Amino acid sequence: MIPTGTLPELILTLLVAAAIAPLMGQYVANVYSGGSSFWEPVVGRIEAAAYWVMGVDPGRPMTWKEYLRALLITDGLAMAFVFVLVQVQAGLPGNALGAPNMSWDLALHTATAFGTNTDYQHYVPETQISQFASLYGLELLMFTSPATGLCVVAALARGFTRRDGRIGNYYVDFVRTLTRILVPLTVLGAIAFVLLGVPETLTQAVHILPLTGGKEVVPLGPVASWDSIEFLGTNGGGFYAANAASPFQNPSAATNFVAILLMTALTFGTPIAFARLVRRPGEALPLVATVVTLFLVGLVLFLAFEGSNPFLPATVNQSSGYLVGAESRFSITESALFQFTSVYTNTGATNMALGSLTPMAQSVLLFGMFMQSTPGGVGTGFGTLLINVVLAVFMGGLMVGRSPEYLGKKIGMAQVKWAAGAILSHPFAILIPTAVAMTVPGVLTSAIGGYTPHGFTVLLYEFTSEAANNGSGMGPINDGTMFFNVVGALVMLVGRYVPLAAMVAIAGSLSTQAPHRPGSGTLKTRSLTFWFFLTAFIVVVTGLLFLPVLALGPFSQIVGGL
Amino acid sequence: MTDEAPEGVSSRRAPRIALGGALKQSVLRFGPRSMTRNPVMFVVYVYAIFLAVLTAVPALFPDLTGAGTGFSRSYALAITAILFLTIWFSTLSESVAEAQGRAQAESLRQIRTGTLARRWRPDGTEERIEANRLRKGDVVRVGQTELIPLDGDVIDGAAEIDESMMTGESAAVLRESGGDKTSVLGGSRVLRGRITVRVAVDPGGGFLDRMIRLVEGATREKSPNELALTLLLSAFTIILIVTILTFDFMLSASGVVIVQLSTLLALLVCLMPTTIGGLLPAIGIAAVNRVSYANVVAKSGRAVESAGDLDVLILDKTGTITTGNRIAVELLAAPGIGKETLTEAAALASAYDETPEGRSIVRLAARRGAARSGARPEVAKVLPFTPERRVSGVVLADGHEILKGAVASIVALTGELPPDLDRAAKDAAARGMTPLAVSQDNRALGIVLLKDVVKPGIPDRLRELRMMGIRTIMCTGDNRLTARAIAKESGVDEFVAEARPETKLELVNREKAAGRLVAMTGDGTNDAPALARADVGLAMNSGTSAAKEAGNMVDLDSDPTKILEVVSLGKQLLITRGGLTTFSVTNDVAKYFAILPAIFVGVSGVAFLNVLRFTNPGLAVLATLLFNAIIIPLMIPVALRGAPFRPRTAVELLRNNLLVYGVGGFASAFVGIYALYELLSYLVVSPWIAPTIAAVAHLLGS
Repeated sequence: MIPTGTLPELILTLLVAAAIAPLMGQYVANVYSGGSSFWEPVVGRIEAAAYWVMGVDPGRPMTWKEYLRALLITDGLAMAFVFVLVQVQAGLPGNALGAPNMSWDLALHTATAFGTNTDYQHYVPETQISQFASLYGLELLMFTSPATGLCVVAALARGFTRRDGRIGNYYVDFVRTLTRILVPLTVLGAIAFVLLGVPETLTQAVHILPLTGGKEVVPLGPVASWDSIEFLGTNGGGFYAANAASPFQNPSAATNFVAILLMTALTFGTPIAFARLVRRPGEALPLVATVVTLFLVGLVLFLAFEGSNPFLPATVNQSSGYLVGAESRFSITESALFQFTSVYTNTGATNMALGSLTPMAQSVLLFGMFMQSTPGGVGTGFGTLLINVVLAVFMGGLMVGRSPEYLGKKIGMAQVKWAAGAILSHPFAILIPTAVAMTVPGVLTSAIGGYTPHGFTVLLYEFTSEAANNGSGMGPINDGTMFFNVVGALVMLVGRYVPLAAMVAIAGSLSTQAPHRPGSGTLKTRSLTFWFFLTAFIVVVTGLLFLPVLALGPFSQIVGGL
Repeated sequence: MTDEAPEGVSSRRAPRIALGGALKQSVLRFGPRSMTRNPVMFVVYVYAIFLAVLTAVPALFPDLTGAGTGFSRSYALAITAILFLTIWFSTLSESVAEAQGRAQAESLRQIRTGTLARRWRPDGTEERIEANRLRKGDVVRVGQTELIPLDGDVIDGAAEIDESMMTGESAAVLRESGGDKTSVLGGSRVLRGRITVRVAVDPGGGFLDRMIRLVEGATREKSPNELALTLLLSAFTIILIVTILTFDFMLSASGVVIVQLSTLLALLVCLMPTTIGGLLPAIGIAAVNRVSYANVVAKSGRAVESAGDLDVLILDKTGTITTGNRIAVELLAAPGIGKETLTEAAALASAYDETPEGRSIVRLAARRGAARSGARPEVAKVLPFTPERRVSGVVLADGHEILKGAVASIVALTGELPPDLDRAAKDAAARGMTPLAVSQDNRALGIVLLKDVVKPGIPDRLRELRMMGIRTIMCTGDNRLTARAIAKESGVDEFVAEARPETKLELVNREKAAGRLVAMTGDGTNDAPALARADVGLAMNSGTSAAKEAGNMVDLDSDPTKILEVVSLGKQLLITRGGLTTFSVTNDVAKYFAILPAIFVGVSGVAFLNVLRFTNPGLAVLATLLFNAIIIPLMIPVALRGAPFRPRTAVELLRNNLLVYGVGGFASAFVGIYALYELLSYLVVSPWIAPTIAAVAHLLGS
């Protein structure tokens, strides 16, 4: 068991997170419905300037194809920029620690990882990235990728409310997300981190002479602002290799607490924002309930499996929990709550060594990334939830003898087609590369030294994390190779853009329908039954697809009972 | 005839099917071409053939059957056999459903004979011509006892026609030119009279032909909903193939356990939605069959599905909601007149009135104690209703003249009614009743109140519809007062009074513009545009050809209330699909717990999945696969008869069906697999089967 004395802190953290999410939802909804901001005169001018520079007519809404094209172009350009930047960073200023240029495959993986909101790091931040590239390249992507995700929420909402086949102007959504949501909130978060002792400086490193002799270089930088967007935008890439286990990034229980709140703010807020945007605030209930159920059940299981390791002899004192792989400055509850939240929001920041978790705790994390809507990453997690809703509503409609509809729009062939495609892409992106890595001669040996149940779990975790755009990594694995860079980049792109395209297409296909007033024969989604059905649907479908690999990996690690 | 009538519908029973034919069909469907129509079963089919080849000639695939692969020929043979059994169960279900349809079609086709028709030439002469050479627009004459060659409209004459071959209704129907009773069906026989008919269809395009084609499945198109489900099931199958295929690669690379290909294929087939995949075609066919047993001809399966999905139902008041006849419900005597006097007078006045209204007055009087009820009293003279006097009655032997008629008409004879009576009459009219006054020798005796009577059971049906989320709109030519009273009594959600012929079309357009699915019934040519525009247009067989052509369903019984049954059948179709899909998926969850431990033999960490505590992995796989096959024929009755359906709200239905099909599927799989495992374990060690297996294994040289 986890120490019971830490439970009040755990519950308090969850309660504060629960209080912030609705406010955030309301705020996000206001932004996408064109509401004005408290600093409207300033922000309005900044946006107008941005539209002028980009040559965008903010009054012209787009069809879903135009919207998707704009989205892909924006993301593609940003990633291409970083892809080039990190390959020439050695010769650019702001490289006091002398980071070399990245190889093309590592650059590809890095640009894709940050551009797809995955932030899987195959490089070591301290030695392989210059501060310049980090600030103007990676951090740029850390803003654009959550913005892309949030835009899709707005597009989906418009699919349900509009009937003219238009789902909004992508550039307007994108700019407003940055100016009104991500930038101001990041500033707030950064201030909190600075106050709590996280460094924020343009100094690239300090040199200290430790008492033990020799010379030590401590890399520094604008860590507080990095932290802020890392968690708020569910990016998860660390400023330091140790990420949130590093005392500079996450010095205390207080920063740990702030980080958890930042990770949950937008991710739990989006269902509420969506329901407000479709003008049926009550419809947030079943969505939030489903997400919260998946989250809390996972959390309880994770804590239970990390509370103690049953295989240790009784003589080992585990009264403070199973602490292997956890930071000693945090209680097991603090570590576990952070780690769990980070994986279930697809942030991917780590403050524990995931390879040291008990096998069942590893299964819980993997299962969360298989489901993705737990709540998942900013925007995309919600989109995945909605794709599950589309399929569940379709099945539910069949079961009540009524053509399915959701929020007044009929769910038919077009929506099922896209939703099925999105659901299909996830196991594809995980299982195929894992099987390939196991089969291609040499890859397995060089990465994990041949099959062991734990080695397999690590390999599975790598591709699962990339496909879910999570970014957390489990060790030990030698994944800085050409194979893992190129295949990993591919997995992240498929894991990101196939579902995104499906979401935008679903929004588009719904936006041409005249909305329909639901009667009592329509399946009421705002009901306990639907909440149960949706939750069960997600868990059962995920289980069916991924149980075999869980058996081959983490389950096989279990020795002598749970 | 089988004894089982389909749920809720009774007009026509499921015909006896030729089981031999169905069996033969089910085997013929094993051809690759027909297999490709069902993606899920096609995959099973490919595996079964592959495994059969592997079992027959293991030497062809040394990588899969050689040393170290764990290949066992008898085991592979058993798996192959069960896979073929699975496919056969699926084709059997489809064949049985089609055989039902074909039997139905056969009984219809007997009507078709090489009819000779008498075609009218423009010059007025006649020529004899085979019916199948007639064309739309031709004019034919049909005499007594002759068959009507093709569907058409009577343009001259009148006749009694026997349509029993098609409708099952033995009473002859009257068809005449002009009005709304002009349409005749090809294949029906003129009993009395002679008529001239303008042919409304080309040969093969008639009503009967269409019905035959539909029940035979030749024109069966998949509905959008069925297509979407097929797509979802295919996608799910593809994911599972990838899941298991990659699992195979991972397993063999890991080297933890040696798993035979047969086991993995068994796992894959068990996980694929074979139950719903196998039954999906049968469900669609059976739904159309059930509609035709209800004596409704659907022109497409899609129409049936739309019926389940309605938002709005436009109903005619007369004939659908009310019986169409007003019935006497109350007698009110004038001041100073005894109740008995009025009762007697009312009975006398209606004694020779054969209209339903008149009969109902006599019945009411009898209940109120009129002496001469039933028997025809001796009278001096019967005064029939005439348009001029607008009253009817009798002159008694003693010279008293007793009359009844509309209040205004009687007042014209008697002078003003007493104020109390006048007020009562006006009140009654305000409540939607029709007051008739009764007089004796130009003195008003009192009034009889007639009421439009709602058909028994209609308020319940309408309440059920509301629960299912279907809004009902009653359409009537009556005034607002009468309409409102009936609307209130029957419980329709909305009514339109003083409807004009085009009102229905306006209603349909209005509702469709709001994005709703609309159904209506109709029989007249006036109704045709609205019938065509509605998502479900149920035309009455007694109506005009134009109406029947416009609607997408025709009710052979000409009972407008039938639309309510059609709605239930449509819902049932959807629920059967949804329920069996859920059943199929939750079944799969249970199967994992049987097969995964069987694969990971000796891996202690995975042993916790072995909740059924199976000790023989091979038998566990066989039992699971066998369960997967057997569940298909076990579900055939559900597919053919449709899932039981009781109207209630959607959420209640979902909860109920989740319990039945979701939890039921999960639990039944555990129980079924466990039972089959125990049975197989028993058989393997039983003194008579074990040697057989050994012999087969020996023969195969495994």
